[in-house]
Amino acid sequence: MAKFLLLAFRNVFRNRRRTLMTLIIVGGGVAGLLLVGGFFESMFVGIRESTISGGLGHLQVFTAEHFRRDEIRIMDTGIDNWKQVAGSISSAPHVRGVAPRIDFFGLVSNGSKSSMFMGSAVDPDAEKSLGFPARIFTGRDLSGQANGEVEALIGADLAKSMNVKVGDGLTLLTTTSDGAINGIDVQIVGIVKTGWAEVDARYLRITLASAQRLLATDRVTNLVVGLDKTENTDAVYDELKPRLQGQSQELALRKWVDLATSYKQIRGLFMTIFYFIGVIVFFMVLMSSVNTLLMTMFERTREIGTMLAMGTPRRWIEALFMLEATLLGTTGAVVGVVGGLLLGVFLNHSGIHLPPPPGTTVPMTFRVMIGASLMIGSSLLVIVSLVLASIVPAIRASRLQIAEALAHV
Amino acid sequence: MEELVSVEAVSRRFPLDNSSKHHPAHRFVSALSNANLRVTAGEFLAISGPSGSGKSTLLNLIGCIDKPSGGRILVDGVDTSKLKPNRMSTLRREKIGFVFQTFNLIPVFTAAENVEYPLLVQGVARGERRTRVAEALESVGLSARADQRPDLLSGGERQRVAVARAIVHRPALVLADEPTANLDTHNATQLIDLMHDLNRRLGLTFIFSTHDARLLEHTERIVRLCDGEVISDNSTEGGNRG
Repeated sequence: MAKFLLLAFRNVFRNRRRTLMTLIIVGGGVAGLLLVGGFFESMFVGIRESTISGGLGHLQVFTAEHFRRDEIRIMDTGIDNWKQVAGSISSAPHVRGVAPRIDFFGLVSNGSKSSMFMGSAVDPDAEKSLGFPARIFTGRDLSGQANGEVEALIGADLAKSMNVKVGDGLTLLTTTSDGAINGIDVQIVGIVKTGWAEVDARYLRITLASAQRLLATDRVTNLVVGLDKTENTDAVYDELKPRLQGQSQELALRKWVDLATSYKQIRGLFMTIFYFIGVIVFFMVLMSSVNTLLMTMFERTREIGTMLAMGTPRRWIEALFMLEATLLGTTGAVVGVVGGLLLGVFLNHSGIHLPPPPGTTVPMTFRVMIGASLMIGSSLLVIVSLVLASIVPAIRASRLQIAEALAHV
Repeated sequence: MEELVSVEAVSRRFPLDNSSKHHPAHRFVSALSNANLRVTAGEFLAISGPSGSGKSTLLNLIGCIDKPSGGRILVDGVDTSKLKPNRMSTLRREKIGFVFQTFNLIPVFTAAENVEYPLLVQGVARGERRTRVAEALESVGLSARADQRPDLLSGGERQRVAVARAIVHRPALVLADEPTANLDTHNATQLIDLMHDLNRRLGLTFIFSTHDARLLEHTERIVRLCDGEVISDNSTEGGNRG
């Protein structure tokens, strides 16, 4: 077996120029896949962390009723005993913080113009415990201390639309939990840029206490859980699930990925593009390799005839060609992985900026994140492609008529 | 002496290209017709004749790399004309050694690795392979060149490696197709002496095709072919014709 492997290995490097060309094609394909896949992965991680730290958190707790039906009255599917639930969650490993939230909406007015807002009410101290950046563009974050004024953060595009700046006042109008219309004056303490244009045009945030007064409720919509690492999400989910059993309300725990619709859509779109590129690389390697391996077979016709004459089983000849293709593919994959990693390091240090991704307003820094699964997947793709390319030459070689093969010039 | 090869009324016809365009009687070309030959173990036999006389065809048939259109061939008592391809392959592997006109060494293997190849195919254990390769190279006087690849060997050395490869697995029969055709007189003479020596010393049966007079001079038995027919079967004095 070792000698057979040696024979295959030496055959691969027999025609160095041709092997080099094949390695360039195979290696180039792998390196290309690594760079594209690495860039997409970097983008996914960026969007993931941006989505999580933008307010989604790693896990969220709702009442189960929240997912079963729409609200009949404001906050009627909210969590009652949220302080007790938050306390139970906080003690779990990897949990950095638990923040209560109220989602609400209404009209915001500057006295001469009104616009719709999508509001969220937060406990500033609890939000800080999550460890997510506030993304304040100008001004400051909400204060945890009540000082008479109702503080508000507002999205940059909404501020522009309402023609207000930090220190200006606005009036919020919304419906209370018992169906009445209620209003509250707020003072803008900060302007926020989330990076998502649609969010910035509707964003408004006040403190939880202010929102509960405005909505006439002591409930919260949900609890947002922040973890030390996104990778721990599944483990903490499994840990928390039993803890949420037996509460006075039936509670539902959701992972960030279940709530991040945009992330899933973007990931789905780019993964489709990546798979399409993978298919192109697969066929590019396949077609060029079939030609190369057929040329190799024709050149070695007499040698194969000699091997067959000496009693070499035909399946050995097939195995030899497929082994050579596997070695060629593996070598090409190694060349591609090394080349892709080096190019990745170079590009990561080049500081290239790309236009903002769809729906966002912040330019992206070009980065590639080449993980082990991407390297293994890309390598397997070209190796399989080469092995498939070797099937026709291998079968043709093994079926050569010995007498004709020996007479081949 | 034991009969090793028996060629009985063997013919071999090849279809012509575009044979459908020809008259049915002329759709085939006959390379060998009604050939008869008996070879006993230990013979040193030459098949001679002009180009196109059917020498290589007859060797291919005896060597189980082709099948006759008619008649039958027995090698070591086995009727090869009835064998399936994999059994023919096994028979070649175990019973026959080949020496080719153009040496046909595997270029990426060293001389020793080329000689080792038939043993590898037979599944002989590594230690045994090493010993037998050394013996075979020793017997052709190439022990010192064992680690050289064919492109660094002279024509004569390459053909001696080919002979070592043909005998390393101790075959019953060694077939050589025009073994001296690509050699100069010096190397051809050396090769003839070597084959003769192996024939006498090891009792190996050699059947080779040639029209090289230098080789024919040293041959006990000469079978002459012309236009696919055996026209004479001579035995030189002192030969061991069966």
